[in-house]
Amino acid sequence: MSKQNINVALIGNPNTGKTSVFNALTGLKQQVGNYPGITVEKKMGFCKLSNTIDANILDLPGTYSLNASSADENVVIELLLNKNDKLYPDVIVVVSEVENLKRNLLLFTQIKDLEIPTILVINMIDRMDYKGISLDIPYLESHLNTKIALVSSRKNIGIDSFKKLITTYKTLSTAPCLNASSIDEDYFDTLRKTFPNQSLYKLWLVITQDVNFVDLHRKSLKNNSFTKTDSELKRLQQKETIKRYQFINEILKVGQKVNSATAKDFRSKLDRILTHKVWGYLIFFFILFGIFQSIFEWSKIPMDYIDRTFANLSSLANNTLPPGAFTNLIAQGIIPGIGGILIFIPQITFLFLFISILEESGYMSRVVFLMDKIMRKFGLSGKSIVPLISGTACAIPAIMATRNIENWKERLITILVTPFTTCSARLPVYAIIIGLVIPDQFVFGFLNLQGLTLMFLYLLGFAMAIFSAYILHKVLKLNCKTFFVVEMPNYKLPLLKNVVINVIEKTKAFVFGAGKIILSIAVILWFLATNGPTHKFSDADTIITSKNENFGLNKTDLNSKIASYKLENSYIGIMGKSIEPAISPLGYDWKIGIAIISSFAAREVFVGTLATIYSVGGSDNEDTIKNKMASEVHPETGKKIFNFASGISLLLFYAFAMQCASTLAVTKKETNSWKWPLGQLVFMSGFAYIVALLAYQILK
Amino acid sequence: MLQEILAFITLGIAVVFLFKKFFFKRKKSDKNCGDDCNCH
Repeated sequence: MSKQNINVALIGNPNTGKTSVFNALTGLKQQVGNYPGITVEKKMGFCKLSNTIDANILDLPGTYSLNASSADENVVIELLLNKNDKLYPDVIVVVSEVENLKRNLLLFTQIKDLEIPTILVINMIDRMDYKGISLDIPYLESHLNTKIALVSSRKNIGIDSFKKLITTYKTLSTAPCLNASSIDEDYFDTLRKTFPNQSLYKLWLVITQDVNFVDLHRKSLKNNSFTKTDSELKRLQQKETIKRYQFINEILKVGQKVNSATAKDFRSKLDRILTHKVWGYLIFFFILFGIFQSIFEWSKIPMDYIDRTFANLSSLANNTLPPGAFTNLIAQGIIPGIGGILIFIPQITFLFLFISILEESGYMSRVVFLMDKIMRKFGLSGKSIVPLISGTACAIPAIMATRNIENWKERLITILVTPFTTCSARLPVYAIIIGLVIPDQFVFGFLNLQGLTLMFLYLLGFAMAIFSAYILHKVLKLNCKTFFVVEMPNYKLPLLKNVVINVIEKTKAFVFGAGKIILSIAVILWFLATNGPTHKFSDADTIITSKNENFGLNKTDLNSKIASYKLENSYIGIMGKSIEPAISPLGYDWKIGIAIISSFAAREVFVGTLATIYSVGGSDNEDTIKNKMASEVHPETGKKIFNFASGISLLLFYAFAMQCASTLAVTKKETNSWKWPLGQLVFMSGFAYIVALLAYQILK
Repeated sequence: MLQEILAFITLGIAVVFLFKKFFFKRKKSDKNCGDDCNCH
C-alpha cells in the first residue's frame, strides 16, 4: 500500500500558540526554510500522521484576518488562492486559543469560506478551568461546519487525537460559514454571472487584496463594469466583518460559557474584586479619596514656595528696574501672570502622576467596565466612559474621543455632558478657593477637609454629567442600540518611563498651552487696569489726598487708597462695575466678575486675572496671591470678599458653568451645528448661575 | 518714553496672539491631534 503525502497549513492569529502546535506535531524533526520572493518566514516540518499518511506541516505567519495589511498576511492569502503552488494545502488547521475565541473565529470563518477542508484547533485548554470557560463542542462543530480539536500544545494534551483528526480531512465539510452574497446581493450576483465557475469569496479576495489567483488576474476584474471605488470596497469589507462577527456572536452565545465566578487565576481573582458590585465601587472610591488627599497634602510646600518666590520677584523688579510703564507691566502684570500659571504645577503633576499609574497598571480598564453598569441605566453607552474619564484632563480631546461611539444619540449626549467632568483647568480655581474658604483641618485626625472638598467637586461634576445625560436621554427622541466591548489588559507594574513622559507632556501642555493665554490676558488686563478714560483716574492722587487730608493717614494707607481708587476708575474697573449688579447676588464683587469674564477663554485665567488686578490695586508687591485674596474686603460692609458663602458659590459656579470657548468650538465642529454648543452654553451657565445664587443666599 | 514704547509693544503682541488664537485658527493637517489640540 503506497503512502499518501498531504500538505497541512497551520494558520492563526499571532500568539495563539501556533508554533508550539507546529513543534508538537513535528517533534524536533522540523526544517526551517526560506522561500524565494518573500521577506517573511514560512516554516515547514514533517509529521507521520498514520501508517498510510505523512504530512508536510506548513507554519504560516500569524495573521488576524484575510484582509491583508502587511507582507506577512499577503504570504498567507497568496498561498491559499494559488492551487498550482506545490505547497497548496489539502487541509487547513486554524489555531485559536481558548481565551480569545471570538477574535480568532473571524479568521476561521474567512478561511472556511475558501472551501478548503478546515479543522479548528482550540489551544491552551489547560487554562479553561482557570478562566471558568466551558465549551459545547458538538454545538460549535455543527454550526461552524467543521471538526474541533482541543489541545494544549504546552502540556502536550490532545495532540494524538488531533493527528487522527487530520487524517479524516476528506470527510470534512467545505461548506462556507458566510454566504458571500449577503455582503451585497446585486454586486455578488453580477460577479457570479461573470465568473460562473469561480468561488465567490475567492473572487472577492482577489478584488479587495493585492493578489491574483489561478488564471484570474486582478486587472481583468478591475476593467469590468461592476468595478467599485476603493471607498466602496472598504465599506463592503467593513460590512463583511460586521456580518462575520454577528455570525460568531450568535454561535458563541450558546457554544461558549464564561463563568468568572469559577475562574481561579490571579488576574481573574483580582478582577472579581475590582469589578465587584460593592467592593469594586468602594475600592475605586478609596483610590480617588487617596489621590485627592495626596494632591493637597503633598502640593502644599512646593506651591507655597512658588507663590513666595514670585511675590519676591515682583518686589525685586519694582525696586531694581527704573520706574516707568514697562517696569510696572513686569512687576504687576507679567510676573504675577507667570506666577499664576506655575503655582499649579505641583498639583497638576500629582494628579497626572496618579492617573498615569492607574492607566498603566491596567486598573482604568476595570473602572471603565465597572462604570459601564451605571452608564447604561442613564442612557449612555459603555463607550461614553472613556470620554468622561479622559475629560478629567481636558474636554477637547474627550469630545473628539466620542467619535468611536456609533450611535448618534449616545454620541451627542456624551458630547453635551462631557464638559461637566472636572477638567484640569478647573483645578487651579478649585485649589485657590478651597485654600481660602475651607479650613486646613483634619477630620478624625487623618481626613484632610480640603482634600475631601476637592474630591466632592470631582464627584459632583461626574454626577452632574450623568444626571444631564439621563435628562437628555429622555428628551431626545431617538432609539438605537449599541454594544460595548472592552478588552481587559493584563495587570502590570507601571513603567516609570511611560509615567514620567505622560506627566511631563500633560504639565507642559498646561504651562505652554494655557500659559500663553494667561500671560497675554494678564498683559491686557494690566493695561486696562492702569489706564482710565476720565479725570478721576488721572487725578486720583489729588482727589484722594485732598479727601483724606484731615484723617492723618500714614503714607502706606494713603497709597493703598489711591491705588484702589485708580483701579475702580480704570477701564477694567468701569467694566467690572457695570456687571456688578448681575453678580453681587452671588456674593461676588466686580473684580471677581472680571475674572469670570476673562476666564471664559480658559478657566485657569481666573487666578491669573485676580493676581493681576490685586497687584495693580494694592500697594504691597511682596504679598502672595493667596494672601492678597484672603485680605480683600468689601469697601462698604468691611466683610471678607472670599468668605465661606461666596467661596462655595464660586466653586459651584465653576463646577457647572461652560467657561471654555475652545470646548464650544469643538462641540460645533463635532455636531456640525451651532444649536448644540449654544444649548450647552445656555444650559450649563444658566444652571451654574442658579446653583451659585442659591448656595450664596442660603449660606451667607 | 522707552518704557511706554516697550509696554505698548508687549500689549500689541498679547492682543495679536489672542486674536489669532481665537479668531484665525490654522486648520490642522493631522486630524489625530494630541491631548492638547486647541485646548487652551
